[in-house]
Amino acid sequence: VLAALAAGAAEARATSEGQLPGAAAMGTGTPPSPSGTAFEETRLHVFTLDYPHVQIPFEITLWILLASLAKIGFHLYHKLPSIVPESCLLILVGLLLGGIIFGAEEKSPPVMNSDVFFLYLLPPIVLDAGYFMPTRLFFENFGTIFWYAVVGTLWNAIGIGISLYGICQISAFGLTDITLLQNLLFGSLISAVDPVAVLAVFENIHVNEQLYILVFGESLLNDAITVVLYNLFKSFCQMRTIKVIDIFAGIANFFIVGIGGVLIGILLGFVAAFTTRFTHKIRVIEPLFVFLYSYLSYITAEMFHLSGIMAITACAMTMNKYVEENVSQKSYTTIKYFMKMLSSVSETLIFIFMGVSTVGKNHEWNWAFVSFTLLFCLIWRALGVFVLTQIINVFRTIPLTFKDQFIIAYGGLRGAICFSLVFLLPPAVFPRKKLFITAVIVVIFFTVFIQGITIRPLVEFLDVKRSNKKQPAVSEEIYNRFFDHVKTGIEDVCGHWGHNFWRDKFKKFDNKYLRRLLIRENQPKSSIVSLYKKLEIKHAIEMAESGMISKVPSSVSLSDYHEGKIKPLSPTEMENMREILTKNLYQIRHRTMSYNRHSLAADAGEKQAKEILIRRRHSLRESLRKTNSLSRERPVLA
Amino acid sequence: TSEQIEHLHRRFKQLSQDQLTIRKENFDSIPDLEFNPIRGKIVHAFFDKRNLRQESDGLADEINFEDFLTIMSYFRPIEMNMDEEQLDRFRKEKLKFLFHMYDSDHDGKITLQEYRNVVEELLSGNPHLEKESARSIADGAMMEAASICVGQMGPDQVYEGITFEDFLKV
Repeated sequence: VLAALAAGAAEARATSEGQLPGAAAMGTGTPPSPSGTAFEETRLHVFTLDYPHVQIPFEITLWILLASLAKIGFHLYHKLPSIVPESCLLILVGLLLGGIIFGAEEKSPPVMNSDVFFLYLLPPIVLDAGYFMPTRLFFENFGTIFWYAVVGTLWNAIGIGISLYGICQISAFGLTDITLLQNLLFGSLISAVDPVAVLAVFENIHVNEQLYILVFGESLLNDAITVVLYNLFKSFCQMRTIKVIDIFAGIANFFIVGIGGVLIGILLGFVAAFTTRFTHKIRVIEPLFVFLYSYLSYITAEMFHLSGIMAITACAMTMNKYVEENVSQKSYTTIKYFMKMLSSVSETLIFIFMGVSTVGKNHEWNWAFVSFTLLFCLIWRALGVFVLTQIINVFRTIPLTFKDQFIIAYGGLRGAICFSLVFLLPPAVFPRKKLFITAVIVVIFFTVFIQGITIRPLVEFLDVKRSNKKQPAVSEEIYNRFFDHVKTGIEDVCGHWGHNFWRDKFKKFDNKYLRRLLIRENQPKSSIVSLYKKLEIKHAIEMAESGMISKVPSSVSLSDYHEGKIKPLSPTEMENMREILTKNLYQIRHRTMSYNRHSLAADAGEKQAKEILIRRRHSLRESLRKTNSLSRERPVLA
Repeated sequence: TSEQIEHLHRRFKQLSQDQLTIRKENFDSIPDLEFNPIRGKIVHAFFDKRNLRQESDGLADEINFEDFLTIMSYFRPIEMNMDEEQLDRFRKEKLKFLFHMYDSDHDGKITLQEYRNVVEELLSGNPHLEKESARSIADGAMMEAASICVGQMGPDQVYEGITFEDFLKV
């Protein structure tokens, strides 16, 4: 379609050029004197084709449409997404498309513009990931994540850079003109683990949350280091002499980039939460604030050359806690769906563009460089993870096993970020830019295809602990809270300022100041109570819809019944309560959302309909069986 | 480790004001513990004879450093070089410690009233909550435990309370 349009565009341009001076002339009032068609009157056109007028939006829409249609295509064949991750298929589609465009027009297809990628395609994905990140788990493992992200990336970058330089020195490969600094720069951009690729691959294999958060958290946090190293080495390549002061400036720059990004994110997150405090009159634009503020944090950070990814992650995580309570239920649903839609579209586009941009004339193949790059990437990653884990295990309560380490090393996928970064290299300073591009593409393809496809069977083979999607239960919530308080109490007794101590302190500060400021109707919140209230509400709605109000009492009415008695509950009542609970538990709104990005909880409507049918059948059976009814039959209160 | 024992010893001396034993009142000197909703249960756990591995039942009046260490040892992290059986035993001990905290009347079962007590204490920091909600929450949780442990119950059965085996299942 695009090729045909391109041909049509050429035609249309010719006709419109003829028309345009005419139109302009009519505007100024002088008689028309068209350039090509002198003295030829243009008849009234019954049907015109004016492609350039709509070219840009038209092409964008077509690309997005194509991406989404491709996605539908994959899921038509059931088994395919479970064997091959979507990212691979999308790249293949992109390759195909690139090939077609190349064949049709005999020139390189549009390369993914790095600006487009960094400013438009990347933020939605990071926002989505940050908003639904399990914060508690993230902060519990924060030390480890930070360690892997910073030291691990440094290790990889310098290791790969230096070893590649060693290879370049061997004159037989014809690479001696690549300097050490260029190699280091290459190392720094290729060692960045990519959040997009990690998300795309990990979301289908369902490893346990801790492992997931380690790899994913690392991919987010290493953006700070990548930005710093990349800019550092790029400037070094362009400077004549390098002084020691520059190295210190680099280190200082890292702190500023990282911390500055996070601060901007948190600040704008608070502002967003504060804004939503006042939006109860205009519910319709509530979702807009969430998106605007987070995007604002991203581009503000980018403006100062700070880490945009960390800014938007911090903003999303901050906003999530407070905004959720201020906005209406409908707004919350809108935010959720819209975010997932945007991120899904972005991800698809990124992979397709990667495929398209691969085809073309900007390649230079050199066996040694490419293969050694790939080899070193793998070796240094494995070594890095192993060494770093031995060190960090000393500080962890639950040490990381070899299986965990293997998955962390194997899950270090490269993706679109290094792809874009390599395209951003200034060709004047890097005469062998094409070689770098080729090497990066090979590494990305290897990690996405081979590692992406094989990680699932490996996870099963190694019997890695998977995430268990169980229903939230009130007793579980109770036990968890109990454990937390016990741990905090023991820490107080020991006089030890541990994890629980700080978390408790933060909670108190939060309750005292932040929540009062940022949340509209502030009531001290207990997770147990809110969970239970949701259960009751769902139960009430269900009952009202299925018309079973007077048959089964809720446990609220039951507790009246037992005032002052220590005798345990009688079995019929227990059975009824059990039924209520088991049937309602699965419909709770998941606040700690699982990280699976592409499948939201199944539509409540269809499940409810089934439920009502089951209930009706059951109630018919019950009413035939039941001889006694309970002494109190109160209508259910929400 | 020995440094951990030293640290705990210092803390013990601080709490007991250089005496050989600690009483319940000494725990009042820990400021942050005041805010902990289940403070009573935590302090109680230190003096619970079942936790101190003594044969008798009930509460001790005072504990010495050895007992203090015994309680603290429940919170040891799992070591990598343990085998399956040790691991299992270790976990059971930790869970038993928690079980004793729930089971305040020492009869080996968590009854509905004890459970309600626990939930009320947990939610005691929340002034807006009515007692009724806490009760119904406890009832609901008890229900879930019953359904996990006993499954389908016949019309004549009465659920006494959560025993330790049921607790493990849950």
